[in-house]
Amino acid sequence: MGKILCPTRGGEGSHRTQEAAIAMAKERGDDLVFLYVVELDFLNKTERAVRPDVVAQEMTRMGEFLLSMAQERAQKQGVEASYILREGEVQAEIKAAAVEEGATLVLLGQSEEDDPTCKFEPEKLFKFAEEIEAETGIEARVAC
Amino acid sequence: MPEHRRFEQKGVKVPCSLFAGLVLFVLASHLFRQLLPQSVAASDLPGVVGWLTDAQGEPVRNADVEVHTDGREEAVAVVESQGDGSFAVDLTEVPFAELSLEISRPHFHSQTWTAGEEDLAWLQQGGTIRLPDITLERRVTLGFWIATLTFVGMLVIIALEKLHNTMAALLGAAIVLGVSFVGRPLNPDLFILDFEQALQYVDFDVIFLVMGMMIVIGILEATGIFQWTAYQAYRLSRGRAWLLVIILMVLTSAASAVLDNVTTMLLMVPITLEIALALGINPLAVILPEVLASNIGGISTLIGTPTNILIGSYADISFGDFLINLTPGVVLAQAALTLFVLVFFRRQYREVSGGLSPAMLERLRQNGRITQPKTLAKAGAVFALMLLLFIFGEQIHLVPAVTAILGAVFMLLVVGADIQEMLKVVDWTTLMFFIALFMVIGAIQEVGLVSLIAAGVKDLVGENLTLALLMIVWAGALLSGVIDNIPFAAAMLPVVGYLTKALPGASSKVLFYGLSVGSALGGNSTLIGSAPNMVTAGIMERAGYRVSYITFLKLGLPATIITVAVATIWLLIRF
Repeated sequence: MGKILCPTRGGEGSHRTQEAAIAMAKERGDDLVFLYVVELDFLNKTERAVRPDVVAQEMTRMGEFLLSMAQERAQKQGVEASYILREGEVQAEIKAAAVEEGATLVLLGQSEEDDPTCKFEPEKLFKFAEEIEAETGIEARVAC
Repeated sequence: MPEHRRFEQKGVKVPCSLFAGLVLFVLASHLFRQLLPQSVAASDLPGVVGWLTDAQGEPVRNADVEVHTDGREEAVAVVESQGDGSFAVDLTEVPFAELSLEISRPHFHSQTWTAGEEDLAWLQQGGTIRLPDITLERRVTLGFWIATLTFVGMLVIIALEKLHNTMAALLGAAIVLGVSFVGRPLNPDLFILDFEQALQYVDFDVIFLVMGMMIVIGILEATGIFQWTAYQAYRLSRGRAWLLVIILMVLTSAASAVLDNVTTMLLMVPITLEIALALGINPLAVILPEVLASNIGGISTLIGTPTNILIGSYADISFGDFLINLTPGVVLAQAALTLFVLVFFRRQYREVSGGLSPAMLERLRQNGRITQPKTLAKAGAVFALMLLLFIFGEQIHLVPAVTAILGAVFMLLVVGADIQEMLKVVDWTTLMFFIALFMVIGAIQEVGLVSLIAAGVKDLVGENLTLALLMIVWAGALLSGVIDNIPFAAAMLPVVGYLTKALPGASSKVLFYGLSVGSALGGNSTLIGSAPNMVTAGIMERAGYRVSYITFLKLGLPATIITVAVATIWLLIRF
């Protein structure tokens, strides 16, 4: 039995990827782990004082909330899913989580919206999948 | 026995004297500044006194006044004009046959005054001559162009996010100072300002007020008060999205008025997003109205936005003045915004579906609880006292910066905060941004760009105060949508200061309130218009909800036009 790691931002735009991961886990009988990465780079956009620790805590709670929703969605379809949260640079954390969690497949997906700010624009997404495979030896797929 | 009292918290020793010293320093600085004479005291020696102004009637400080006697090239004495433009020359070498004063200052044409026979006779009797006010004419130098380009470049770099705001401001300060020091020996016209002059432009009232509020907010934000209020709004609304939005807008606006609107949004957005998901509505329909309300609410008090802090310090507008003159206008603008938002998102608010499981609702409840009730009680009490001091402190000439520092120190002691953690709360990057920004603004003031703009605006509006107000509010709103409103407001302060002196009826400081309204409300028009907009978009994007420039513009631009119009009407009625 393998383990699918599905990095997600949790919002509506990520539902398609989550659904694909759930379907794949069900079909293969694999474990499913959702991953949310707390990244605070947007704090650089302000010249105002903020407490990164407090913001990180809030973002973690929000991430947990969004991942719990994904978990419930999987549960409703008969798939037991777990989730993990990490803090740092998104791409590095995905690779690290894949290795640490012993994932056999990383399922990436792009936002349903045409989102230029998304970490995973189409070309970058495929390139990133190749990067994961090359660096970790773990299979990486893109849900389109 | 220890040298000074300490208290221990989590193993960290806190020297109380550090804070006491800091407070004393601030108090002493202000006292010292009050006591220092603006002009040189008169002596018994014969002499010449005068006042230097620029074309706008603003005092010219740091001008060299050289005294030449009997046709000698070498100056027998050199004095510098003071902050109020005054200078006083004591003459020790009398009698003499000729006397002239050569007045020079970078970025101005030099002037010479020569004493007539009557003047000389008077001086030889030991008298002092009071010269008529001397107006120095501006001169456009190479330094003018360099300072102007640096300022514009800094605004562009910040707007395009090519560098961090602080880095951009520091780069600007480095350029103007570097060019002044390195360029001057090559070509005197390259001089912009020296380091001492640059420091004179740094407003330490602003720095200390911002620093004090950082500590206060740093303590309050960790208590969970923002999340709790948001959750209470959810409970009170009982699933009615329109009511939820109204309550959240009021709460956000109020929090932004007394705290910082970036912090408010950083802490309100995650819990609001969860609430929106609980109601089954698009989070954008709840969060975007919140950020608009936050930007509006901030201008109702002196401490609500950095632009108000700048304006309050420069124009000597107190906390109470803002409350009386702006808060009612803010309430009206807020009401207009609420109506607009309810119409704009009417479809989304009808689509409430609920649908969260009991487990998720419980998680939401957990996320919306107060995490540090004891700290909140203590810090809340101190904060309430602080607000009272902000309001009534002016009766005892207590400046807001001192209130903020006193409140911050008292709060730290009362809650027994970990000093190492609290010092991390002070964002030195932000303080450096302000210091560097003040230096760059000082540079464009020194070279005459600000005077040029002030004269241009004055020519345009003539003696018409209403026209000037409309221009400042609407131009401010327009520009704040595309450039950072903090440097914009900082650069506009001397311009508005000049207009306030020059226009009949402007002494009520209405134009400063106009600048506050324009620069803050204009930030609502575009995504990049204000820092709260950008951090909100940042959090939303992390949750998979993109706020595009166009999405924001569709809501923000009409909202800005409506709220600025309402606020303008208020200012016209009030003044």
